[in-house]
Amino acid sequence: MTEAPGSLRVNGRTVPLENVPTSERLLDTLRWRLGLKGTKEGCRSGDCGACTVLVDGVSMLSCLTLTHEAEGSSLTTIEGISDDPLGRAVQAAFERAGALQCGYCTPGFVVALVGLLRERGTSASVEELLSDLGGNLCRCTGYVAIARAVELVRTEAP
Amino acid sequence: MTSSPRPDARPKLEGTAVYGVDLEAPGMLWGALVPSPVAHGRLRSVDLAPARALEGVVAVGAAELAHLLPGSTGDPDRPVFPTSTLVYRSQPVAAVAAPTRELARQAAHAVRVDVEPLPVVSDLEEVFPEWPGSSSEGSPHVAAHVRAREGDVEAVFRTAGTVVREIYRTSSVHQVAVEPHACLAEVTEGRWRVRTSTQTPFGVRDDVATLLGVPEESVVVEGTWVGGGFGGKGAALLEPYALLLAKASGRPVKLSLGYREEFLLGRTTLPSVVRMETAVTGGRIVGRRVRLLLDVGTSLPGRDFATGFSIGFLLGPYRTPVFEVEGYAVRTNKPPFGPHRAPFAPQCAFVLESHLDHVAREAGLDPLAFRAAHLWKEGDTTPLGQRVGPFGLSSAFEKARATAARWRAEAGPDTGVGVAVGFWSTGTGAGGEARLRLSPTGLAVVQGEREIGSGSVLAGVASVAARATGLPREWVEVTYEDTSRAPFDSGVFGSRTTGVLGRAVEEAARSLLEELGHRLGGSGPVRLAVESGEVVVERGSVRRSVRELLSDAERTAGGLVANGRHYGKSGTIDERKVEAGTFYPYTDFTGAAHVAEVRVDRATGTVRVTRFGAFHDVGAVIDAATAVAQVEGGVVMGLGTALTEEALWSDDGRLLNPSLLDYRIPTIGEVPPIEVTFLEGFPGAGPFGAKGLGEPPMIPVAAAVALGVRDATGAHVTELPLSSERVARALKLL
Repeated sequence: MTEAPGSLRVNGRTVPLENVPTSERLLDTLRWRLGLKGTKEGCRSGDCGACTVLVDGVSMLSCLTLTHEAEGSSLTTIEGISDDPLGRAVQAAFERAGALQCGYCTPGFVVALVGLLRERGTSASVEELLSDLGGNLCRCTGYVAIARAVELVRTEAP
Repeated sequence: MTSSPRPDARPKLEGTAVYGVDLEAPGMLWGALVPSPVAHGRLRSVDLAPARALEGVVAVGAAELAHLLPGSTGDPDRPVFPTSTLVYRSQPVAAVAAPTRELARQAAHAVRVDVEPLPVVSDLEEVFPEWPGSSSEGSPHVAAHVRAREGDVEAVFRTAGTVVREIYRTSSVHQVAVEPHACLAEVTEGRWRVRTSTQTPFGVRDDVATLLGVPEESVVVEGTWVGGGFGGKGAALLEPYALLLAKASGRPVKLSLGYREEFLLGRTTLPSVVRMETAVTGGRIVGRRVRLLLDVGTSLPGRDFATGFSIGFLLGPYRTPVFEVEGYAVRTNKPPFGPHRAPFAPQCAFVLESHLDHVAREAGLDPLAFRAAHLWKEGDTTPLGQRVGPFGLSSAFEKARATAARWRAEAGPDTGVGVAVGFWSTGTGAGGEARLRLSPTGLAVVQGEREIGSGSVLAGVASVAARATGLPREWVEVTYEDTSRAPFDSGVFGSRTTGVLGRAVEEAARSLLEELGHRLGGSGPVRLAVESGEVVVERGSVRRSVRELLSDAERTAGGLVANGRHYGKSGTIDERKVEAGTFYPYTDFTGAAHVAEVRVDRATGTVRVTRFGAFHDVGAVIDAATAVAQVEGGVVMGLGTALTEEALWSDDGRLLNPSLLDYRIPTIGEVPPIEVTFLEGFPGAGPFGAKGLGEPPMIPVAAAVALGVRDATGAHVTELPLSSERVARALKLL
C-alpha cells in the first residue's frame, strides 16, 4: 500500500517520497532511501534511543514514527545537526568530554541533547537534562563522560 | 584529568562511521534466519517451497549444502544447519534472502518446519537436583567436568573450628551491545568475502573456513566499525549463513539481526549454582571446597573454557592450602554459552566475596581484616601451583578499605559500604603481529583489528607506537587492513589488545629504530622526533630527516617497513593436583578493589548505589583518558549485573524477556559518581609493564554492591541480581 508522492524536509533539503508504503518507518526511509545512516538502528522498538531525530525541533524516535506522519515537518538528523551552533556545541562537548566509545549510541545522544536544550534552554538543571536522557541507552561509557558533556555544554552552549 | 580527543570522535559524532548495520551493496538481498520453533525436537522436515514461492526469494537449508559446498563436510560437530535434532529455540534451521527486509522476514515465516517435540531441559537444577556423582560421567548433560584437589580436605573440615556451607545462584546476563550483529556477504570468483561487525576478523575467517569446509585463504573478512562487542562479537555468528545465501543467489546478501533475535541468538553468560564450603581455625582458612554447576546451553565443542577457567576465580585470589574444586559444564536447551566481558568472573567474585564475608562473620572475625590476611601477594602460590607474579591487589584493597572507612563514617541511615576484590589474567597467550610503516610525514601502524570502542586499538596501540619510538601520538596513524592483507592478530578480547598487539608494535618499533640506527651510522639507540613538520631520527644531538634515510624504492612504497610479533607465554600449573578436565594457567595477575556505597529502601528492597570507588592494578597506564573511561563503563555494566540484569528462561526453553524494556540495563539517571584510582608498579606482560583493563572493571562490582547491602541492612543475599524482590525477601518483607 503506498500513498501519493509526497515529500520530506530533511536537514533543510526537500526530498521527494515515491512509493513509500504507509507502514514504512521514518528510520528506514532515512537510512535506506535517503542514505542518512548516521541515524542508528538499535532495538526498533523505542527502548534504546539510537534512532533519535528532531521533528520540528523536538526529539522523536524515528523507529516509532511513520514516514508519512513526518510529511510537512522539518527534520534534523545527525548529518544536519552541525548546521546550527547548538548542534556544534554539543558535538564539541562530547568530543572534549570523551563522551563516546563505540559511538553507536552517540548520534542519538547528540540529537536528543540538542532537542532537550532547545526545548528547555541551557538554564535547565543537569539533573533535569540527565533525567530526560533516560531513554537513550549507552553500554560503553557508563554515561559518566556523557554527563560531563552535558555539564560542559550547559556552561558553554551559545 | 584532561582527555586527549579520540581519533574516532569526529566520524562517530557526525554520523559518518559505517557499522555492520549500515552496510549496503548494489543489488543486495536481505537475509533472514528461520528459527527452530522448539527448544528440543526431532526435525522431520524443512519445507522451503512456500518461501521460494514468494517473488525473488532464495532459500537454503541443509539439503542445499551439498550443491553449494561441493566436496565439503564442514564441521560435523557444528553443522551449519541441523539435520536431525534441534537443541535450542531460535537455532537457525534454514536461511532465506529477498529483495527487501520485510519480504525476507515473511519468507522466513513461510518456511514450514515440521518437528517432533522432545522433552526440554532448561533448568540446571532439574538436571542435577543432587550434586552429580561419578554416575554422571557419561551423562549427555555433562559437557565438561573438572576436578582438582590438594591435601586432606575431609580431615581439615572434620577438625576445623568453624565450617560454613552455602549455596549461591547467579543469573543469565547478556552483552547488550547497542548495535545488533550484522554483516554483508559476497561470493565472487571463489572468494568468500564478508564485511562484518566483529571483534575478531581472523577468528571469523577461521570459523567460516571450518564451518563451511572451504580453504582458509578463500575467505576474506573485513571488519567494520563495531557498535559494542563485550565478547558477543568474538566468533562467527551470521557470516556463514550470509555467505551461503550470497553463494546461492549470486548476489550480495545483508544479514542484520533485530534486537529480539539479538537476545534469542546471543551467546552469553548462563545461570550457575555454586556450593561454597570453608573451614576456619584460629582466624585462618584451613580448607575450601568449591563446587560449580555452570549452564553452558548448547555447548560448542572446544569452547567450554568457562568451567576450567572460571573455577579458579571461586578459589583465588586467596591463599588456600587445602582444597577441593569440582565443576560441571551442564548442557541445557539454550543457545551456547559465550563470553561476556570477563566471562563469569563477576559472578565468581560475587559468590566468593559474599561467602568469605559471611564466613568471617560466622567465625566472629572482622570480614575485611579476614580477607586482607589471605590475599595473594607476589611470590605466593595459587592453589594450582602457579607462582603469583607482580600483583597490586593487596595494595588496592588497603586503599579501598581506607575509602570505605571514610564513607562509613559519613553514612546516613539505611546506607552501607561494601568492599570487594576481583582478579583476572590479561595479556593471554593468544598472539598477534603488527607492521610499522615510517614515512617522512608520520608512522603508520598497519594491523588487522577494528576499534570496538574501548580505545584499545586507536588510543592504546597508537600510544604504544608513540612511546616506543618517541613520536607524538598525533604523528601515529593506526590503519586497518582486511584479513587478506593485514598481519595476523587473535582479536579484540580478553583485555589483550593493548597488551599483546601492543607488544608486537613495540617489537616492530625496536627493529625499525635499529635499522634507522644503522643508516644513521655510529652506535647507540636512536629515537624519532618531529622537526620542521617532518619526522627525524635523532641520536643525542645528531639529527637526520627520515626523508634522507629512505631509499627511492621505500619512498615509492610509502615508507620503511618493520614487522613485529608477540606470542606470549602463560605460566604453568601443577598438573599433579588436577584429577579431571582442563584448568588454565594465568598469564599475568591483574586485580581491582571496589567500594560501593549503597542505600536500601527498607519498604521495597530497592537498592541504589550512591557512590563508587575503583582501585585498579593496571601495571602501567598507557593512555589515561581511555583507561579511566574503561573503568567507568565497566563499573556501570557491573551495576547492571548486580542489580537488574537477568535473562529469564521458561521451562520449555523460551527466553521470556528478549527486549531492552524487559531486560533492564543501567540508564543515565542511575549512575553514581565513580572515583577511579590506578596503582602502578606491579608490572604485567604488556608493553611498559601494562596489564589489560577491558574486563577487570566489571569483576568486583556485584560483590561490592552485595556487601554494601549487607552492611546497610544485614541482608545476606545469595543470588544475583540483587533485585528489589530478592532484597525484600532477604529483609523478610515478602
